[in-house]
Amino acid sequence: MDGKLRELLDISENDFDVVVRITREEDIAIARQMAKQLAQELGFSLADVTKVATAVSELARNIYRYAQTGKIMIRKRLEESGGPTIQVVAADRGPGIESVDRVLARGYTTHERSLGIGLPGVRRLMDFCEIASKVGTGTVVRVEKRRRKF
Amino acid sequence: MAFKDRVVPTIRIGDALLVPIQIDLDDKTVERLQTQLLEEIQEHRVRAVILDVRMVEVIDSYISYTLSETAAMAHLMGCRTVICGIQPPVALTLAQMGIELQGFLVARDLEHAMGLVY
Repeated sequence: MDGKLRELLDISENDFDVVVRITREEDIAIARQMAKQLAQELGFSLADVTKVATAVSELARNIYRYAQTGKIMIRKRLEESGGPTIQVVAADRGPGIESVDRVLARGYTTHERSLGIGLPGVRRLMDFCEIASKVGTGTVVRVEKRRRKF
Repeated sequence: MAFKDRVVPTIRIGDALLVPIQIDLDDKTVERLQTQLLEEIQEHRVRAVILDVRMVEVIDSYISYTLSETAAMAHLMGCRTVICGIQPPVALTLAQMGIELQGFLVARDLEHAMGLVY
């Protein structure tokens, strides 16, 4: 887990189409907007564009809420075997998560204005979701969604 | 309430307050909207608030949390809250995340919402 976190924290920003730094509350809406735009460019359905934008909104809010600063990196992948894919990495060097299993269970939260449905929701909305975190080092969430064929 | 303090312009129809949300809801906006609605409920003594979210493209967990909280507060002030016009992709996303929008009456559209109020 430690190696994985380090590897993900060190991912180069240059490999991504868009990098949104999260430092203010307004950046949550900016990250959401960028995700929406990239999903649209990939030809995602309106339903899937909304799911991706909502997932990114949750990830950006978690950064702002728990780590104060961090970044959302988004890229389009056209050559993936499963079809065009949007990949999002949410990285911060904040306090880290004590138990990843616990935050993925519905209803767990350490915040007073939350129902604890953000991260479990993200996992349901996306096709792939991976979380690497260590207390005192930071947290990286990597998610993906493929374009559906109609 | 001074016009400049309003995040969303509202329309009074009889005993109801119609709130057509036509802006992108970010965290600060939805918090300010909560304050605005509570003040307007008190000021106008309306018995129902109708939130029209037809133009809202993303409702995530915090936005839904704050809207549900607003409905609960309105309820304590003797006022019902109806939400209408949730778009299909938003409904799909909320359902998949398991968000229930507690505390609201849910209507298909404005006409249905008015029917629920009167």
